Amino acid sequence: MPDKFKFAFMPSASCGGCEIAVVDIDEVILKVAELADIVYWPTALDFKDHHLEAIPDGGVTVGFFNGAVRNEHDVHHAHLMRQKSQVLVAFGACAQMGGIPSLGNFWTTEELAHRMYDTVPSVVNPEGTRPQTSFEAPEGELTIPRALERAYALDQVVDVDYYLPGCPPQPKWIIAAVEAVASGELPPRGTVIAGTKAVCDECPRERTEEKQVTEFRRIHLVENDPEKCLLEQGIMCCGPATRDGCEAACVVAGQACRGCFGPTDNVNDMGAKLASAIASIVVADTQAEADKILGHLDDPAGYFYRFGLAKSMLGVQRGELKKGDE
Amino acid sequence: MKKIEIDPISRLEGHGKIAIFLDDNGDVANAYLQIPELRGFEQFCVGRPVEEVPRITPRICGV
Repeated sequence: MPDKFKFAFMPSASCGGCEIAVVDIDEVILKVAELADIVYWPTALDFKDHHLEAIPDGGVTVGFFNGAVRNEHDVHHAHLMRQKSQVLVAFGACAQMGGIPSLGNFWTTEELAHRMYDTVPSVVNPEGTRPQTSFEAPEGELTIPRALERAYALDQVVDVDYYLPGCPPQPKWIIAAVEAVASGELPPRGTVIAGTKAVCDECPRERTEEKQVTEFRRIHLVENDPEKCLLEQGIMCCGPATRDGCEAACVVAGQACRGCFGPTDNVNDMGAKLASAIASIVVADTQAEADKILGHLDDPAGYFYRFGLAKSMLGVQRGELKKGDE
Repeated sequence: MKKIEIDPISRLEGHGKIAIFLDDNGDVANAYLQIPELRGFEQFCVGRPVEEVPRITPRICGV
């Protein structure tokens, strides 16, 4: 029998939901254990950086990186995982496109820190104390990594081989990825391991071909028809621009899609695609009418870029760390 | 003063490190817990429709 594969799981600016998704494959995890040794997974076992550093370069068969890259320690971890992994997978929405933490990219890191340490009602900090990258305690020095100027997707920092989208990734696609590794039949590099169409294509709600919206409505203020397309009922839904593969889980549960699987193929900027999709279904004869209808869409930036702001073309130089973040 | 550093704290979600300083007798003189992570939920939830917030804040901790 050939040597077992070696898997590593690296968390960065994340919530731990991706790690839970790994366990959500249920009994299949036993097959994974037969197939591979887990050589690094600090969320589940007591691993430190030196365990990963001691592995020869390329010694990890598949590295799964979850979370956005938000501080200089995450940058180090991204490079370390790239160096050690034969195949590097951006695991989950944050690693794929910045995820929820990249919503912070609408502000500077200083503005985020000001809110967190100065003005949040539950904070009492009259001296304006802030975390320091280095602090001389009476007993010795304490250090923490510097926060970057924004959140990055993994492929904005290092080369990525595959993407497992979702917040969190869905068990069936995790299993598909592991099976692809086991069989040696890997898809072309750069593949997003999920569906190839839009969420609307697997959404069970009925829709007409001619979507027409004359009013946007907030989901808690209307009794929506559970059989009909949410967008056609004026409820903002990101299904038209979002990759399928989740079986429209949120929509089935009565909530509109928020785009966690990222854009479909050949879409550069998910927010722009969504803006275009929404604009095309608004029925208005005059600019004033259109402005009024779209004015009821409370938070377009938060809908269009809920999970993917780091990958937006807005104010971002692709593939390069912002000045100061190198 | 001898320093023992536990970094990262493992087997949990979130990022933490602990520094333990030992005196000459090997007794603990002081210990520090540090949370080295910044994401900014406190700011980026502000201004969002209130019904959207329960779809954002679960990502503070997904365990």
